[in-house]
Amino acid sequence: MRGITRTVGVALAIVFAAACGGASTPAASQPAASAKASAPKFELSTYQYAIQTKGKLRIGSQEDNPPFSVKNPATGKWEGFDADFGRELAKAIFGTQDDIDKFIEWVPVVSATRIPSLTDNKADVIIKTFTITEERKTQIDFSDVYFVTGQRILVKKSNDTIKEAADLGAKTVCAQRGSTSEQNITKANPAAKVLLLDSYPACLLALQQGQADAVSTDETILFGLVKVDPNTKIVGKPFSDEPYGIGVKKNQNGDRQGFVPFVNTWLAGMIQDGTWGKLYEKHITPVSGDKKTSPKG
Amino acid sequence: MPGAIAFQFPDLFFGGLWVTIQISALGLAGALVIGTAVALLRISPAAPLRWLGAAYVEFFRNTPLVVQLFFLFLGLPLVGLRFSSDTFESIFRAAATGMALYHGAYVAEVVRGGLLGVDKGQIEAARSLGLSYAQMLRYVQLPQTFRAVVPPVGNIAIALVKNTSLASTIGVTELLFGAEIVESRTFRAEESFATATLLYLLLTIPLGLAVNYLERRLLVAR
Repeated sequence: MRGITRTVGVALAIVFAAACGGASTPAASQPAASAKASAPKFELSTYQYAIQTKGKLRIGSQEDNPPFSVKNPATGKWEGFDADFGRELAKAIFGTQDDIDKFIEWVPVVSATRIPSLTDNKADVIIKTFTITEERKTQIDFSDVYFVTGQRILVKKSNDTIKEAADLGAKTVCAQRGSTSEQNITKANPAAKVLLLDSYPACLLALQQGQADAVSTDETILFGLVKVDPNTKIVGKPFSDEPYGIGVKKNQNGDRQGFVPFVNTWLAGMIQDGTWGKLYEKHITPVSGDKKTSPKG
Repeated sequence: MPGAIAFQFPDLFFGGLWVTIQISALGLAGALVIGTAVALLRISPAAPLRWLGAAYVEFFRNTPLVVQLFFLFLGLPLVGLRFSSDTFESIFRAAATGMALYHGAYVAEVVRGGLLGVDKGQIEAARSLGLSYAQMLRYVQLPQTFRAVVPPVGNIAIALVKNTSLASTIGVTELLFGAEIVESRTFRAEESFATATLLYLLLTIPLGLAVNYLERRLLVAR
């Protein structure tokens, strides 16, 4: 309902603005011009220019992936590291704005729909704990690494038998389907039985109900789960390397001209000016307890 | 060519198809039994039994199948019930049970319609000839009902086969899930899902033909 009201509101605002523009007085068009002046200038052939002209950056992220992206059910606002990261990218395209969310269209995705939503042009970028792999690179492009983590194991606090990936033999391990975690478990311990569900909150529920012996995925996602259920604990050494990147559709016939280099330049700037570290402290430190200033630590 | 990929991943496609067939068969058998029993409750002379039947139908018909599946999978353990100590056996049984419970409500409505369609005069005649209520059902009302409800129950059976794809949400590696896994490993989305579609048609079209055949056979017998 909120979404509808908002959409109608935005639509009305656009109609109103268009009507005003039609009967334009010089004074009325002045603020619009100055708002545009604060936005960065791009070459006309680039994709970032196309987004700027379109007025919306379409960010694909997941609605229930704490602490990276969560759509707050009460306010409808997207929160988390990935969500704020997306907002920073929007700022780099549209300039500093009062409400940057007005320039963002959030596209809900799950692990399995990340690549299709890029190749089908439903989203401009995927910012969703998206591990860079060689296989995936054949389908889409990735930015430079913006976050590094490793896969670990979550068990009930009372569990003493599972300490490492080696202990997962004949145990039921839950992971999100279509994720790298699923394949990593089988690689780390081929004897593990993998239960595949749609999200990690569902996996946590399976763990709580005794339908799964363990949940295994990237450490940072597990941090989020421990926060939700303090009766769980994270065990074992990381058994995979998970470098996250921002997913972008491959440049075909110049339809993504200059976009990945632009994102990479922006990303380097984010790390350099300390914004990255601030976001880490805001979203990751509360669950991990450590502090970092760059993806490398 | 769609279909070729099935032979590269036979475990996922044909294995998935087999799981789909099993869940469909168990679910349909359960739905027919539950549906008939609930329909009999709904036309029973005792009011509390009628209410019970109505409550069953309204509950299972008016809540989403996915929610029912999640309840069977993760809700029942909350009250200490589980289908099996093995999780994969457990989700399989939860899926088959969910199919039976949900589609049982639809079968019940169809069978109830069939029962009510039997001419009242026949029922009165049977009772006045000295048949008990149970004998009347057994020899007069139910046989005519089963004959009449073949086409609509056929529809429900086809819907049930397709609805088994929802079992993937609780982690059952049926046909659709198999296709999704292949898609996530190979990124060959079109082929994977086109193949799954073909395999579903391989189940549903013969099922439809079988229903038509059964309908004609029973028509002749009448």
